[in-house]
Amino acid sequence: MKKLKAAIQYECMTSFKYIWYFYAIQYAIVLLISLIVAIGTGSFDNIGSNCLEINSLIFVGILGALGYREDFRMLIQNGFTRKYIFIATVSLYLFISGIMALVDTIMGNVLHAVRPDYFSLYGALYGYHNVLINWLWLFLVYMAVCFLLYLMILVINRIGKTASVCLGVALGGCVLLVFALFRFVLPGRTVAAIAEFARNAMGFMGDGTVYHAFPVLTLLLLGGILGIGSFAIIRRTELK
Amino acid sequence: MNAIQIKNVTKRYHDVTALDHVSFSFAFGKIYGFLGRNGAGKSTLINIIANRIFADEGEVLVDGIPARENMLVHEKLFCMSEADLYEKNLKVKDHFKWMQRFYDCFDLDKAFQTAEKFELDVNQKFKALSKGYQSIFKLIAALSLNVRYVIFDEPVLGLDANHRELFYDLLLRDFETREQTIIIATHLIEEVANIIEEVVLIDKGKVLLQESTDTLLETGYCISGLAQDVDDYCRGKNVIGYDELGSLKLAYLLGEKAQLPQGSHLQISPMNLQKLFVKLTEKGGN
Repeated sequence: MKKLKAAIQYECMTSFKYIWYFYAIQYAIVLLISLIVAIGTGSFDNIGSNCLEINSLIFVGILGALGYREDFRMLIQNGFTRKYIFIATVSLYLFISGIMALVDTIMGNVLHAVRPDYFSLYGALYGYHNVLINWLWLFLVYMAVCFLLYLMILVINRIGKTASVCLGVALGGCVLLVFALFRFVLPGRTVAAIAEFARNAMGFMGDGTVYHAFPVLTLLLLGGILGIGSFAIIRRTELK
Repeated sequence: MNAIQIKNVTKRYHDVTALDHVSFSFAFGKIYGFLGRNGAGKSTLINIIANRIFADEGEVLVDGIPARENMLVHEKLFCMSEADLYEKNLKVKDHFKWMQRFYDCFDLDKAFQTAEKFELDVNQKFKALSKGYQSIFKLIAALSLNVRYVIFDEPVLGLDANHRELFYDLLLRDFETREQTIIIATHLIEEVANIIEEVVLIDKGKVLLQESTDTLLETGYCISGLAQDVDDYCRGKNVIGYDELGSLKLAYLLGEKAQLPQGSHLQISPMNLQKLFVKLTEKGGN
């Protein structure tokens, strides 16, 4: 356990500062754009952007995926097994997702309170009724994104560049195929049922009510599937 | 069993067989020279021992414990690699501090003292170090760990003569005081010839020989003279290679030295480890 703790500490402590670099740069850019627009238009009305969590989504994805190679090499050099490396990586995702979801929840609610025309991602979808659920939802979204990109980078590392490009093309083709299936092949009733299922999975019920537990369960399931997939690949990953 | 046991290990990369059913052991308490030409399979085997890659067949045991994905070997084995696997943005001193957390047997004070001896600036980031100092950092990390088995893969790459001497000196001093096995994989055979006790020679994914250095140097010799005389002498003996210069012929042999014939103009001379290595791997290539 001591070794595992050291690996987790390494992952978390070496990434911690980048979270604050990100927020400092993000809010500096928002401030700068606001000032430029304000100076240009001579008014502070209608400036600022919504859904700043999108930036966080991109950041956690990049931090999670791009950190893989360096951290894997460093930990394997220091004798850690892939199981330990995976647990340390998941801990890093829990850590950065938890902190960033907290910051984004607080900032989203504060900004909305100060400027009611600002909407956070969660607020725009579900409203501003429950801060805890807001944090949990964001946390799980960030975790799912981390796992998705982690799985992608592991697959790319395993199958190589050429096969990855082919896989990307195939996946792109599949997306087009699915759209075509929905539009031209599947009966309207089936498409409506699938759309309703997707809405329900994200908590939006047919009668207009919102069940917050559903998106939490959906994201947990998604994160779990992606996490298991990632573990299945990393346990066979070799140093390149 | 106190050893690194390599049992029937095979590793293939597409059509290339990097290791072909390799079996041998690195016994505890010795200094080994793990020798082989480029692409012979040295680094592949080291990476399998260090759990960085997996064998397609066979297994590696460290003191009887399977090395594959096993944290029980964490405090037993360390591999200093030729490849740079360390986080480039960390300072040297922070690397040492992390290693102290990763390993119970890491001597932090010793790491800083050794860094001073090598004049390594511990406040520099790893990426800011020259190639030579990056190697020195990796050597210090390995020297500061009191594990039972240390593997050095091309340890003196990029080091100047003074630093190489210092490294060998520190290595031997440690070996006198600690109980451990040191495995040195290198091309610089003559440089390690005086240090290593046993040689494992690998070529084209197969072990050509495993023998003590003393035995090799005792049984390896060179016969030179006129081609006909040399050929007559060599008949029925284990000749590992020839060199020819005009009518003069040199034969390199392994085995007990037979008496030179009465009145013979042949000359007998010892063969150094490097020549032995070259001739054995040439033979393997023929």
